[in-house]
Amino acid sequence: MNEKVQRLVMHAFRGIPGEMTVDFGKGDSVVIYGDNGTGKSTIADALEWYFTGAIELLSHEGRQHAVRYVGGETGGVTSVEVVTSGTLGGRVDFPDERNAEAFHAIRRETFLLRGRTLADFINKTKTEKWKALVEILGLDAIESLREDLQRARNELRKISKGAEEEVRTYLRALTSGSEEATHDTILANLQQFCVMLKVEPPRSLDQLADPSWLTGVVGATPAVSEASDRESLLAEIKTLSTPTFDPGGVEAWNDLVSSGRARLLPRASLVREAKRLFDSGAIDKGRCPLCGQAVDDQSLAQRIESALVEVMEASRNLERFGDPVAQQADDLEAAHDKRLSIQNRARSMKLELPPVPDIPHAALRSSIETLAPVAIAAIMSSLSDIRKWDRAAGAQARKASPREPSTRDTQLVMLAALCQQVNAWRVADHKASRARRALDLAERVFDAYQQKQKEDLAALLSAVSRRVAQIYSTLHPGEDLDAVSVEPWTAKGVELAIDFYGSRQRPPHGVLSESHLNSLAIALFLAMAERFNEQIGFLLLDDVINSFDVEHRGRLAELLADGFSEWQLIVLTHDQQFFEHLSRRAPSWRKLEFTSWSYASGPRTTRYETPGILGNARERLESGDVHGAASRARRALEELLQEVCEALWAPLPFRRGQANDKREIGELLKGVRRTLKERAKPLLESIEPLLKNLEADVGATLNVAVHASRGRPGASEVAAALDRIAALDQKWSCSACMTRVWHRGTPEAARCKCGQSSFPPARI
Amino acid sequence: MHRPSAHEFLRTLLETLDDLPPDFVRRLEEVLKKEDGDRSQAIRRLFEEFAGE
Repeated sequence: MNEKVQRLVMHAFRGIPGEMTVDFGKGDSVVIYGDNGTGKSTIADALEWYFTGAIELLSHEGRQHAVRYVGGETGGVTSVEVVTSGTLGGRVDFPDERNAEAFHAIRRETFLLRGRTLADFINKTKTEKWKALVEILGLDAIESLREDLQRARNELRKISKGAEEEVRTYLRALTSGSEEATHDTILANLQQFCVMLKVEPPRSLDQLADPSWLTGVVGATPAVSEASDRESLLAEIKTLSTPTFDPGGVEAWNDLVSSGRARLLPRASLVREAKRLFDSGAIDKGRCPLCGQAVDDQSLAQRIESALVEVMEASRNLERFGDPVAQQADDLEAAHDKRLSIQNRARSMKLELPPVPDIPHAALRSSIETLAPVAIAAIMSSLSDIRKWDRAAGAQARKASPREPSTRDTQLVMLAALCQQVNAWRVADHKASRARRALDLAERVFDAYQQKQKEDLAALLSAVSRRVAQIYSTLHPGEDLDAVSVEPWTAKGVELAIDFYGSRQRPPHGVLSESHLNSLAIALFLAMAERFNEQIGFLLLDDVINSFDVEHRGRLAELLADGFSEWQLIVLTHDQQFFEHLSRRAPSWRKLEFTSWSYASGPRTTRYETPGILGNARERLESGDVHGAASRARRALEELLQEVCEALWAPLPFRRGQANDKREIGELLKGVRRTLKERAKPLLESIEPLLKNLEADVGATLNVAVHASRGRPGASEVAAALDRIAALDQKWSCSACMTRVWHRGTPEAARCKCGQSSFPPARI
Repeated sequence: MHRPSAHEFLRTLLETLDDLPPDFVRRLEEVLKKEDGDRSQAIRRLFEEFAGE
């Protein structure tokens, strides 16, 4: 079962100066209400920071340090502690020392949707959506293997193409330009030639590879052998062809490396290497893996991620335009090597051919390495030189060849040369067959891999699409917008699509309003979480209804309350109507209201914490911090009186604005006295001495401002004040069940949880 | 939802392909387990090796 959050403890975190705890019970859903600036989103920030290692808004703006509480009394280490129903809980202190590996699994889970980033997924490009989906689906490793299979397949294609070309070259030489000949026709021609020369014809082409057969048939005299070699050399020179050159491909490369995009290219391998090091965890924490400088590894990891997106596009262009240029360099080098080989063979026959012209294949490779433009004119010039050399070499070889072709020796020489050519052709053919078989296997595995990947993705998208459409139509029933789906688009993209009054819109931005797009984002978020979450069982929605009207807010509340009861939903909103609607619709959910935030005290909620503050005050007193204890004691008294006034509906003076939760102790005491006088006079009489003593404490012992100028209070005085506050607190709690007297019922006739204590009290 | 690893994904796929050379699947898995070197080059060499003579 997916894990739920049971407790969240934040310390000196964001806008919380001390400690704040949010109790989620066994993992209950909760709706949290608060006006802007009351600190409710701190809960979302804390969970985001704990589960992802960063708060996206702060990271984008380079303010990661703002995780710490920056003002007033910090009270020590910034930390977030999460208790969950499983193993995901724990505590993280600032600075966060966890590396990327710690978040590897969680990064694939969906749990947080914020109003301010609601449109992010919708507005991403199809490639960015694909990248996000690949990460969520865990397809990155599968995609990486697909790329390796593709690279292996592409290289085998090149090898096979080169081998086929070599076969065709030999075949053209054997058949005077035709490429149609087969083993049988070549054998038949050879046999015919042998019959004409009255020598024993070969039974098969395999026999030609046997040197003893050739010696027996043709003879082994030096003259024949030498003449045969020259004929063979001349035949090879005749088959030479100038390498093809595609100026368009090289111009595209030159355009790429001359553009601004080229500046990104050198970073590609660097960024990839950095990411690999980060992902492997093989780096010192807090140090840049490349330069070793001290750095915040969280922010560096995120910068690497964003840089990767940027360089990936440039990297793809590099591959697209660079491969043809590299192929061109290979072709030029092969042409150069071939001519050097012919020149060396000629030398061994005492035949001097012209010097082989230099070919700029090295310069071409250097341009690829350094991302520099290629000099097209130099390549054209060298190709012209190659053509001239081929003609000159052919003329030289012809001069050196025997001029009397009609003699039997010459004919035998021709036969020997022919046999050499056939053998070379067969070796090349064998090599090409092997390359073809390797390529066939690679193509088969790669095609099947890619097809399965495509089918699996299509099946996943189809399942998600159905749920997205279902959720979307729940939010927008009766609107003629149908067939919402997430669709593959091109090889590396996905996009949202919708049928809009009969026309397919992909993406739907052109026809949907902002609120409809936001509904789509919410539907996608919920569907993705349902489908893909493996560990996280809670969903956090922070102010996601801003663009919704009343009707759609109501529908979303119903959807969350009724359709996601298996999930723990943590819904934050500043819309009171939505809060109340959701509270009514989901009575089992917890409710939490943030009422205000102040620089010194942080967020305040409607949940009162008198015992906790009293306990903190006593701890401070024990540690010798009398001033701090007095400050907290005063705060505890405020908290207690505020709670009593609220629970008993004490009449307090009207206040304009938002400061009703910041009453002074004097005001609150008046409210308590007035209420008790009207409804529980005996109780008032019994506690009046206590109230008077507390008033005196507030004016002296607990008056922190006075202490600052007149000296510090004594520890015993503060301890006595704390005892009095605790005594007053106990007046409102049941001694049997320890719950507040107004736990059940109305202020007119309130009772505690067990029912033994009541207000007004039956007997004082 | 179970997210298969790349190796699991490939193994499932290869099991559906008929007429693969004997021992090819085992050798490919060996290549994929090695973390050093250029994986695409190792895969290419394996394809060539199984192309036979």
